[in-house]
Formats: sequence, C-alpha cells, structure tokens
Amino acid sequence: MGDILKLGLILLLITSITALVLGYANDMTKDVIVNVENQASEVARKEVLPLAESFKSLDKEILNKIINENPNIKEIYSGYSENGDLVGYTIKTATPGYGGDVEVITGISLENKITGIKVVSHKETPGLGANATQPKFQNQFKDKSVSKELEVVKGSPSSENEIQALTGATITSKAVTKGVNLAREIFINNLAK
Amino acid sequence: MKFIDNLKNGLLKENPTFVQLLGMCPTLAVTTTASDAMAMGLATTTVLISSNFVISLLRKFIPSKIRIPSYIVIVAGFVTLIDIFMHAYAIDLYRSLGLFIPLIVVNCLILGRAESFASKNNPIDSIVDGIGMGLGFTWALTLLGIVRELLGAGSIFGVQIFGEAFKPAIIMILPPGAFLALGILIGLFNWIKSRKTTRV
Repeated sequence: MGDILKLGLILLLITSITALVLGYANDMTKDVIVNVENQASEVARKEVLPLAESFKSLDKEILNKIINENPNIKEIYSGYSENGDLVGYTIKTATPGYGGDVEVITGISLENKITGIKVVSHKETPGLGANATQPKFQNQFKDKSVSKELEVVKGSPSSENEIQALTGATITSKAVTKGVNLAREIFINNLAK
Repeated sequence: MKFIDNLKNGLLKENPTFVQLLGMCPTLAVTTTASDAMAMGLATTTVLISSNFVISLLRKFIPSKIRIPSYIVIVAGFVTLIDIFMHAYAIDLYRSLGLFIPLIVVNCLILGRAESFASKNNPIDSIVDGIGMGLGFTWALTLLGIVRELLGAGSIFGVQIFGEAFKPAIIMILPPGAFLALGILIGLFNWIKSRKTTRV
C-alpha cells in the first residue's frame, strides 16, 4: 500500500511540474499566438483583395443569417479603399478535402471579379494536396468572373471557367474550387448590389 | 574517445532509421519533400536532446515501476513546448509541420533512447547520444526526402532540377513510394556496411 502511494506521489510530482512549465509557457505565448494569427489573417485578406486598405467584419446580423443558411461560410469581411469606399469582400469558407476541412479566403471585387484566393488552413497530404497553397495553383483563380461556376479539369484548361487540378490531388483541388464557388454564390445572392 | 563513439553510434553504427528501424511513422509520413523531412528531423532532435538530458538527470529519482509514464509525460511536455513556441514564433514552419509535431510524442526513437541510454548514463553522455541519434535520424529522413522529392516531383528542397520534359513518378510521393524508397535505401546501407566489414 505504502509503495503504491509513494509511486503515485512521485508521478504526481512529475506531472505537476510539467503542467506548471507548460502553463507558464502557454501564458507567455498566448498573446503572441493570437497576434500572429490575426496578423496572418489580415495579410491573407490583403493578398486576396489588394484593392482594399482596411477591412471590417460584415454586420453581425447579416453574417449570422448567411452562416445559418450556409454553414460552410466562416467569415466575411468588407474591404475599404483608402478614402473609405467599399471595394469588395473577402469570404472565408471551409469545405471538406481529403484530410479534413480546407479553409480558403476568396477576394471578390465589386467589379464582379475574383481578385485572388488563398488556402489558409488545411490538413492535406504534404507534397500532394498541400501544393494547393502554392501560388501556381492559387493564381489560376485570379481575375475569373463570378458569373460562371468554376470547374476542375485534369490537364490544361480549355475554357475561361476551368481550373487545372493539382497532380495527384483532385479531391483537394475540388475542395478549394467548391469553396471559391460557394463564395461566388454568396457574393451574387447576398452581397452584390 | 567515448564522446566520439557515442556520436558515431547514432550517426552510423546504430542509425535509428537504417539500422534500428525506429520511428517509422514520421519516416514514412513526412518525407514527401526534403525540407519537411529535415524540419521534422531537427524538431525530433531538439526533443530528443532535451528529454535525454532531463530523464538522465532524474534517472535516480524515477522508480523503475513508473518509468514509462514518467518518460512519456516528460517527452510530451517538451513536444508541447516546441508546438506552442513554433506556433508563436515560426508560423510558416508550424503550418507545414503542424500536424506531425504532436506525433513526436509517440516516436519510439525518443522513448527507446530514454529507456536504453538516458536512464543508465550521465547527463553529458545522454546529450551527446541525443545529438548523435537525432542527427542520424535527420540525415536519414532528409536523404529519403531528397530521393522521393526528386523522383516524385522533380525537385530538391523545392528547387526544380529536371526541366518540363520530366514526368514525375507520383507514386514516389504517395505512401507506397515511402516504403519503396526506404526499402532500397536500407538495402544500400546494409550492402555498403557489409562490404566494409568483409574488407576489414
């Protein structure tokens, strides 16, 4: 009995010290991580909608209504130019890929053009699906019109609304394109005037 | 001399990947590109050195009956520390490796060294063993990553080597390619080793 108690106490001591160290490290880095994440999101928004200088989250009521109807929508920000004019929107979507949800931010200008997309978070296979984060793939979406649904093709695209799939990662390519299409629909149905 | 022997042990003689076949999960999973493989190797090395050191310091304090849970807690603690610090200060690296960092906890290489070396040797030797084993693991992973990336994507460390005409063998960056490349490399390693011993 005494032996068990002693072993238990030693284990308790080791786990407590570890927990203490981790708690302290977490406390130290908590704010840094939040900052880094916010900064990364802000940079990503600017990248997909370069026309805008500042961003503001969409009005809560409208946003909640859209999210209720489309649970795959995560965030919508309005982008404003330097003199405060609305220039477009950035829409964050999460669509199921090969290894989990693929989060994509799509920028759409008021001229009905996709200004850029960025895959911000994913759990796809390194070397295959993870290539969706490379500019070569993402740049395909640039300057596409929002009026037509985008389609994924294997091999070189032959028409304006086609996107070339990543080699060996058709599911990921489709997930990204689905996210962009969703953003496109939301823009047409709820945001465009 | 013991110092160099300890170091060489991990790098060649008892190489964790090619000789001991330890830590196969990250070996097979993250070697699709040379840079991911190297980053994974270095992250594992950091954990290994730290855990070897602490476990060696505590080797007389931890009763053998509860050594495994104690080691796991210490290793998991270091892995979590690396995970949060990477998230805070190296966000890009964190994004590409994020999924595999927590897996270092269950890398049997780390527990294996704790059990067979750090629990029996002094802290300095344990650190040296951690460096040797860690770097041995790193170079093996990087080599595997180079082979797979070159054949499977036509590049090394993201730099294109072959021109557009090269059709990459996608199978090499898919899971079967990991087994193929690892098998051939282990074969090569053993062949070179056996030639050396017969000559002596």
